[in-house]
Amino acid sequence: MIEYIQDFWPIIFLTAVYLVVCLGIGWYFKQKASAGVSEYYLAKREIPGWVISLAFFSTFASSNTYIGQAGQSFKYGLSWAWVGFFWSIFCVISWLILGPKMRFQTAILNSTTIPDYFQFRYKSDLSKTIRILSAIIILFATIWYMVGIAKGSAHVMESVLNIPYAWGAGLIIFVTFLYTSWGGMYSVLWTDAVQGIMMFAVAIIMVMIPVIYVGGVGDLFDVIGNTQHVDLSGQPIGNGLVTFGSLVSFFYILGIGLAVGMKQIAEPRCLIRFYSIDNAKSMKFAMIWTPVFLGVSLLCVMGLGALVHGMATPDEAAYLVKHTDEVVGFMLSKFDNKLVSGVVIAGLFAAGMSSLASVMLIVGTAFVSDVWNAVKPMEPGRIVHWTKVTMFIYSLLVLIFTIFPPAGIVELTAFSGAVFAASFFPSIFGGLYLKWGTDMGSIASMISGMMIAILWRFTVRFEFEGLSDIHEIIPAFLISCLVYWFVSRMTKERVPDEGHLMRLFG
Amino acid sequence: MDFMTSLPYWGIILITILNAVLVSRMKITFDDEPKDDQPKTDQP
Repeated sequence: MIEYIQDFWPIIFLTAVYLVVCLGIGWYFKQKASAGVSEYYLAKREIPGWVISLAFFSTFASSNTYIGQAGQSFKYGLSWAWVGFFWSIFCVISWLILGPKMRFQTAILNSTTIPDYFQFRYKSDLSKTIRILSAIIILFATIWYMVGIAKGSAHVMESVLNIPYAWGAGLIIFVTFLYTSWGGMYSVLWTDAVQGIMMFAVAIIMVMIPVIYVGGVGDLFDVIGNTQHVDLSGQPIGNGLVTFGSLVSFFYILGIGLAVGMKQIAEPRCLIRFYSIDNAKSMKFAMIWTPVFLGVSLLCVMGLGALVHGMATPDEAAYLVKHTDEVVGFMLSKFDNKLVSGVVIAGLFAAGMSSLASVMLIVGTAFVSDVWNAVKPMEPGRIVHWTKVTMFIYSLLVLIFTIFPPAGIVELTAFSGAVFAASFFPSIFGGLYLKWGTDMGSIASMISGMMIAILWRFTVRFEFEGLSDIHEIIPAFLISCLVYWFVSRMTKERVPDEGHLMRLFG
Repeated sequence: MDFMTSLPYWGIILITILNAVLVSRMKITFDDEPKDDQPKTDQP
């Protein structure tokens, strides 16, 4: 035991401090958050811009970004940064086009969740159906995402601290559940802000590791600019790491860039951030700084794997090119500095837990407020209590799936993001900007977006040569937007009354 | 590194700068916050 602590003390100490800070924040906000639904679900729309900005960044970027995407560039080279470029563009689009308008309309409608926004905005006999349908999509699609995040974090604990996988998963999920259930949206946002600061710093530290190891930027680029390391097919990479499209097709980059990047304009865990911002000045701050936090972090992280070639021997590189999830762990062990490892590992936990907490709260609110309370209204005072119970049960379910993950969980996680973007974006954008958008247009686009994503993924994409690089997000998104436009135009008589639209559009 | 490989790196910096300039010139108000003396547009 003493030997174990001697070996891992910086990592154990920094991780323990981080977990205690998260729990402390949750405990601090416990009483305030339990005052009512608006407090627990939205932090009463009184959170400063810098907190929301960091929370958006830390919620969107996850351990998958810092481990999975960083590792991908070991295989695909520096061109992989194009994925980060697309993500940054969607971050700007999300804040410029959706943020202010969404904050404005949801306050007028007294909306507390994304599904209830659909109901209040489209205002018809069908709009409750849209609310329940969208809540069910959230409940189904998010579980795979949560399992993916918990799985990645548990693997880190196992490989770095020798903590058994199931215990690591249990610890991460339990701590996240505790502080989320105590402080609701208050603790989610404030812990997200702390996690965002850590993640930003860790991204910069991570990119410096290969540079310091090799002895400078120039030397590093000399090494990776022409390497004898082999690619997946066993051929020498040569100058492939620094040559555009040499190791990966641009269509593949585009697919991942869109499928993941578009989560920022469609996923409730990102969009709900707009609800809680306190005033217009804060909104402006967040609109400027969120793309900076995300963009700089992605600049550091997305090409990291390619730089790690400078630290690897040919044999190590031949192994890592087939196991890209291990690239970051390899980099830390090769650098062999316990303090740096401790800081980076704490940052990786932060990346995982920030996303996990946000999604956990979304799931609780979706089930209790948008399914249960919508079908059979309950006393307002019981909503927060049952939201906590739902989060606990869902956490157990996530733990079970994390310990016994179904096959293809990683693919399922990416697929769920595509379902969100295709099924939610037209209804959100149309709700905010198009007066002529109707409930029928919304429900038809949700169903068609979901169906096209499923059909393309399972019956088209991998069945026909040349289509495998075209991600399901592309056809599903285009068709669901067209369906929203066409069905809304065909059902003009279902446009909400003029008075309602005047309140929303002025 | 060729031009197309380097483009996303400086492209990210460029879009964050352009975004900052654009946002700083926007006027944003919400209906549920106290009004002050500054002239404001109706809505974002």
